[in-house]
Amino acid sequence: MRHSQIKKLTYLSAAATLGAVGLMVLSIVSPRPIFLVLAMSMGQGLGTLSLASYLLAIALDLQVTGALVDNVEEDVGERQDEAVRE
Amino acid sequence: MFSLNSFDQLLKLAALACAAVSAAIIIWYLVTRPPLGRLTKTLLLLGLGIMPIGVALTGNMAGYEYTLKRPFCGSCHVMGPYIRDAEDAKSNSLAAIHSRNHRFGEESCYTCHADYQMFGAVTTKLNGLKHLYYYVTEYGNTGPDGEGGPPIHLYKPYRNSTCMQCHSSASPRWSRVEEHQSMLDDIRKGEMTCIGCHTEVHPTALSRRPKQAAATEAPKPEEKK
Repeated sequence: MRHSQIKKLTYLSAAATLGAVGLMVLSIVSPRPIFLVLAMSMGQGLGTLSLASYLLAIALDLQVTGALVDNVEEDVGERQDEAVRE
Repeated sequence: MFSLNSFDQLLKLAALACAAVSAAIIIWYLVTRPPLGRLTKTLLLLGLGIMPIGVALTGNMAGYEYTLKRPFCGSCHVMGPYIRDAEDAKSNSLAAIHSRNHRFGEESCYTCHADYQMFGAVTTKLNGLKHLYYYVTEYGNTGPDGEGGPPIHLYKPYRNSTCMQCHSSASPRWSRVEEHQSMLDDIRKGEMTCIGCHTEVHPTALSRRPKQAAATEAPKPEEKK
């Protein structure tokens, strides 16, 4: 997986966590039955998924970093290409 | 002004503080988009992992505590008559009398309607989900107090054990009542129910029963959510 994809996965998990935290806060600020159920099901499910995807992103990033040690020139070149494209 | 005078509020405050820290980190990350260095990863672990877990834990506990309270039960409009009766200082219904008792306080609905058994809290909360389902599917478009909706009833007969949490059949005060003595075995076996004699549980509930059913059946004031 490329570095830019890992960053995208991290952005996605950050945005999902923001949504999950928002749902949980809604249930605290306005504790109506429907909001409580939403927070305890969707909110926590979304939060768990986003944490899992962040951990996956970190694991993949570490893998890429490991590849960097094995094949420094290739990976540095790829990152430079990505930087130019961005 | 927000005042901190109960464990419930402390939990809410902790949950909101965790949420604020988490949101601040996430917004900083999404706006500035820094490279995924060690510091960024650590901050993100805090913002995407530790703080949201803190929000979930404290928020769940605060939410659970709130679900025990009468205002939560009254947040569905169909419970209006029951809540008004329970909070009526002049009412002599069992719900009102128990709600005035400081041992029940704001948790009077839950204390009397929770399953008194092992994992009772779990089964009660599962039934709560069922309430929500029926509320959304059958009472969503009903009148101010649920008029026009199907009659509200218990899922299963009201158990004596719930009353006996406090009114023990072994207590001298309870045993002094002649009727109790003569029906002791039946009451303990559950063949005779407490609310079979103490019928004034939720008087306002009767007004919502269909006229035909009310005329043919003996009043069953145990009818509730």
